[in-house]
Amino acid sequence: MSDLLQVKDLRVRYPLASGFAAMLNSKKPSYVDVVHGVSLNISRGETLAVVGESGSGKTTLAQALCGLAPVLSGEVHFDGKLLPLGKDQHLQPDRKRIALMFQDPVGSLSPRMTVRKLLAEPYRIHPGLSDDPDRSALNLLSMVGLGNDFADRYPHQLSGGQARRVGVARALALKPDLLIADEPSAGLDVSIQGEVLNLLADLQREMGLGIMIITHNLNIVRHVADQMAIMYLGRFLEQGLSSLVFHQPRHPYTAALLAANPSTDPDAVAERIELTGEVPGLLQRPSGCEFHTRCPAVQAECRMSFPAREGANGKQAWNCFHPLD
Amino acid sequence: MTAPILNIRNLSVSYQTKRGLLRALRNINLQIQAGRIIGIVGESGCGKSTLISAIIRLLAPNARIDGGSILFKGNDLLRLDPEAMRALRGDEISMVFQDPMTSLNPVLTIGRQMTDVQHRNNHSKAEKLSRAARMLERVGIADAAEQLNRYPHHFSGGMRQRVAIAMALMTKPGLLIADEPTTALDATLEVQIINRLRQLQGDVGCAILFISHHLGVIAELCDEVVVMYAGEVVESGTTRDVFRNPDHPYTRKLLECDPARIAEATRNLPVIGGTLPDLVDLPGGCVFRPRCDRSIDICRLERPALRGGNHCAACHVAAQ
Repeated sequence: MSDLLQVKDLRVRYPLASGFAAMLNSKKPSYVDVVHGVSLNISRGETLAVVGESGSGKTTLAQALCGLAPVLSGEVHFDGKLLPLGKDQHLQPDRKRIALMFQDPVGSLSPRMTVRKLLAEPYRIHPGLSDDPDRSALNLLSMVGLGNDFADRYPHQLSGGQARRVGVARALALKPDLLIADEPSAGLDVSIQGEVLNLLADLQREMGLGIMIITHNLNIVRHVADQMAIMYLGRFLEQGLSSLVFHQPRHPYTAALLAANPSTDPDAVAERIELTGEVPGLLQRPSGCEFHTRCPAVQAECRMSFPAREGANGKQAWNCFHPLD
Repeated sequence: MTAPILNIRNLSVSYQTKRGLLRALRNINLQIQAGRIIGIVGESGCGKSTLISAIIRLLAPNARIDGGSILFKGNDLLRLDPEAMRALRGDEISMVFQDPMTSLNPVLTIGRQMTDVQHRNNHSKAEKLSRAARMLERVGIADAAEQLNRYPHHFSGGMRQRVAIAMALMTKPGLLIADEPTTALDATLEVQIINRLRQLQGDVGCAILFISHHLGVIAELCDEVVVMYAGEVVESGTTRDVFRNPDHPYTRKLLECDPARIAEATRNLPVIGGTLPDLVDLPGGCVFRPRCDRSIDICRLERPALRGGNHCAACHVAAQ
């Protein structure tokens, strides 16, 4: 199967300070690497979940794929074509094929537009996709399971789950091939979370969408994702088929994450892997393997160099000198 | 049994809206014994935030308390004058918020903020700083004295939340209200915070009112759990009783929906059908009836009361 999205060694670097003051203070780094060499593949109809805590660079990765973050190096192939990232206007023809669903459902909708206007807007920007934007907007509404009476509401009149549905509808308005969903279930209750994820799965089946889900909720990854990637300080420490990773994590960070997931059974005895130390900041990126400051299995070489990729790409692969058995 | 530290009786709160009176809380009863950890679960819009705001008396201007009382150590908070209430906030009752980045002041050092919360004490500045450093050590922050000179943005998310917890516990409150304190953190840090809270709670001896979406966190941390739905308490009891043998259909459905509980990987996650009732125009009878699959005739007519001893539920079917 041909890959819909292919990312090779993507790096995103943000400048920190510029100008005279920064020149004088040459000891401080003048940039911060938020995404530090990420490679991934997503096929049509497949879901990749990117897992990691806040600040690990998940959202920046998503933004970089949409041309919204400064890419330092790396290649992004979309449907066989090399995307000229960083050059904004060149992306335009493909932009409608990659849709982004933002993290904050209410905040990403303009408060001064009705749902009808919000949903018709993509058609106004990309004319030629619909003769009657208003009618298409209503179709979208019913596709995400909202009645026509929602069309004239403003975003503040929607609940979190409803706003999220409008976000899904907006993202799918232009019939994209790839949907990047940034925390699609964050801040939603378990019942509504299920609704939104089921909706995405249904639409994926109908439209053959490739989906990249960004989340820190491991419970949903197990159910919705074919592939998963564990991100830590801008790198994928482990990635592969979710069934394999959940069954047998090889990287100590993955193992700790999976073991830390609290269970709803009050009597369950959790076998935790205690992590010590603090998450280092991106500005003080540790030498060698970034995880060595917290790793229970750290050895001298971990501090010296970053371990090479091991395992089989596409099945399960990790970067660790001392993988778990 | 000693008198509870917080005793909410028949509390009802409503909001004046353009569409009419929105009855956000109706006849809430809730007791917290000193030194216990109580979890509140419920979907957004079930009144969790209104309940907290009512306890600390920071309700929106269009809110109205329709009745009931909130007894804190025997005093009715709803009858206190604003001056006395202000003395309680941050001293006897303190709070940890969801997002530590926005609840800490970004332009003041941690040390300055931690001495500010001690403004009621007559210690010297040096004494206040060393107390702050000791508190930071207790939440597991290394080089505490050094860290006092740093700003919130120097800290990672997990550390910031621990600073917020340290700050909230500075004054040895009787009640700590924690509003989704782990939502912004990853699973390893979430567990770290929970363990820390549990340990500190043992040391300080305060009661904790813990609010979370995450049923797993509640199960792990809380002694007792209160399930809220559409402005009412529908079930309460010890965490074990409620999570093991839920009596109310809503609790049962909520637990069924939790993806963590489903062992087999599935693409079709269970959901609770229907939507929350309109709180301006409440249906008669049981509020959960429109979404309940076990309703009987009486559910349409009569609002069920909370029944049962330590583990109680507001359900006609469960009562039979």
